Amino acid sequence: MSDRWAAIAQRTYVTMFLVALYMPLVMLVALSFNDSRIIGFPWEGFTVRWYLQVLESRPLLEAFANSLLVGAAAAAIATALAAGLGLAFRHEFRLKKLLFYAIVSPIVLPGIAGGVLLLLFFGLLGVPPKLLTTVLVAHVNWALPFAFLVLYPRLSRVDSALEDAARDLGATDLQVFTRVIWPTIWPAAAATFLFALSLSFDEFIRTIFVTGGERTIPIHFWILVIEELTPELPAMATTIVLVTVCLSALAHTFLRFSKGGANEQH
Amino acid sequence: MGRGGPRGENTPRVAAGPIGRPLLLTAPAALWIALFTAAPFLLLIAVSFWVSGYYGTRPDFVLTNYARIFQNELYGLQLLKTLRIALVSTVLAMMLAYPVAWFISRRPPRQKTLFILVLFIPFWVNYVVRAFVWLPILGRSGAINSALMGLGVVDAPIDRLLYSEGAVIAGLVYVYTLFMTLPILLVMDRIDESVLNAARDLGATPLQLFFRVILPLSWPGALAGSVMVFLLTLSAYVTPQLLGGPSGLMFGNLIASQFLGGNNWAFGAALSCVLVLVALLLLAAAGRWIKLHRVLGGIA
Repeated sequence: MSDRWAAIAQRTYVTMFLVALYMPLVMLVALSFNDSRIIGFPWEGFTVRWYLQVLESRPLLEAFANSLLVGAAAAAIATALAAGLGLAFRHEFRLKKLLFYAIVSPIVLPGIAGGVLLLLFFGLLGVPPKLLTTVLVAHVNWALPFAFLVLYPRLSRVDSALEDAARDLGATDLQVFTRVIWPTIWPAAAATFLFALSLSFDEFIRTIFVTGGERTIPIHFWILVIEELTPELPAMATTIVLVTVCLSALAHTFLRFSKGGANEQH
Repeated sequence: MGRGGPRGENTPRVAAGPIGRPLLLTAPAALWIALFTAAPFLLLIAVSFWVSGYYGTRPDFVLTNYARIFQNELYGLQLLKTLRIALVSTVLAMMLAYPVAWFISRRPPRQKTLFILVLFIPFWVNYVVRAFVWLPILGRSGAINSALMGLGVVDAPIDRLLYSEGAVIAGLVYVYTLFMTLPILLVMDRIDESVLNAARDLGATPLQLFFRVILPLSWPGALAGSVMVFLLTLSAYVTPQLLGGPSGLMFGNLIASQFLGGNNWAFGAALSCVLVLVALLLLAAAGRWIKLHRVLGGIA
């Protein structure tokens, strides 16, 4: 009998937990339709005018384009670097362990320090903050360890005997890559690219220290929240949520599709 | 895992092309890390001994930045407060996550996948947005004040809901719970039902079952999650900046203000080094119980 009550209590608790998790987001969507100049209650009636303002906002469109641009570039670089690492990590080599810790260190380095050290580095070198220089570097730094951790288990299944066989049959390195390796790893590479893209799309704490005039989406949203707190912010947030959830869902689908056998690092 | 084993020894041809050569494959990434992570990190340490003035930041070797942190008790108190907020957020997140992780880990596979997806979706939302949603919840015209006034519990909106340490903790727990739930869930997933049945057959009460079987077996996950959440909350900037008000500001805000407002780079670098040192000490302490790669494996 006590088992039944425990089961009911557990279900109730988990339901409450999930409601607490989703409620703020549901409320955000609801408030985005509230015809009020105050972000909050009471409910003043239904309107889509905040969405019209958001869709007409040039700075938001520009921020979106900036985010996509730097995201695609950062994801491409991170995926390529991670692919090289992943292929190499199938073998034993000197300083492998040290390299592993160097790769994953940005994950445990406090994010704010990750931003500050790039600000100092570029600032003292006299490199002006720009989207495709300083922000790109910050985003690759952040995405690379995750790209590696996602890609490596999937690459470790690529048997190096296949490469040896191809080489024995006279394939050049380029041929080994295009004919043997790439056909096997592309779903995993695509998944990693999308995952890295979503990380870049979401990045804020490192970007804020190295951003110039070209804002990414999170930076643009942050500046509006801090400086103006305009009534269309819930609508803007909802639009951003919609875009990022679609992007992440795509990445998630690809990740499951390319699911690797090994999940643990050695 | 997945290495060729003895195969690697008798195939000298592997080394013939760059694809078989770890050195060439790792070189681009190693260069990137050396240039954009290692070098800036060393520079950060160096600059913490430099001097910032009206004329900018110039090389030197002085301890004044650190002396200022340790002599002015304001900074020490700020660090203590940050550690307290991080600790409370971590413990709260753990207590909230444990039953959820357990429930999901005992579901049949298809349901489990669905529940994990349901856990994930809110965390695909940008964390600036996730912190922002607490403004219209806790604010003067927010959901809680409107509900309380609508129910006649209070006559005037409560100001103290927002811009307080409590608001920061609520926000941080909300923003980072997934990093706690997921590692616990991953470890619990491996607890075999037969172990639980054996304990039950031997007469374990539900409490005994939890403290003697489930907790010891899932502890590594909880520790991994705690390290992750503690590290993230320790260096929080967005949540306290939005929800904290003057009384809820954390160490991260102190660091940021040296760069985004004050232009005191040398002092900011010293503050950053203190934060990194605290994080490293924490990792070293946790590393006595868990392997670092388990933490990392949990979030990948």
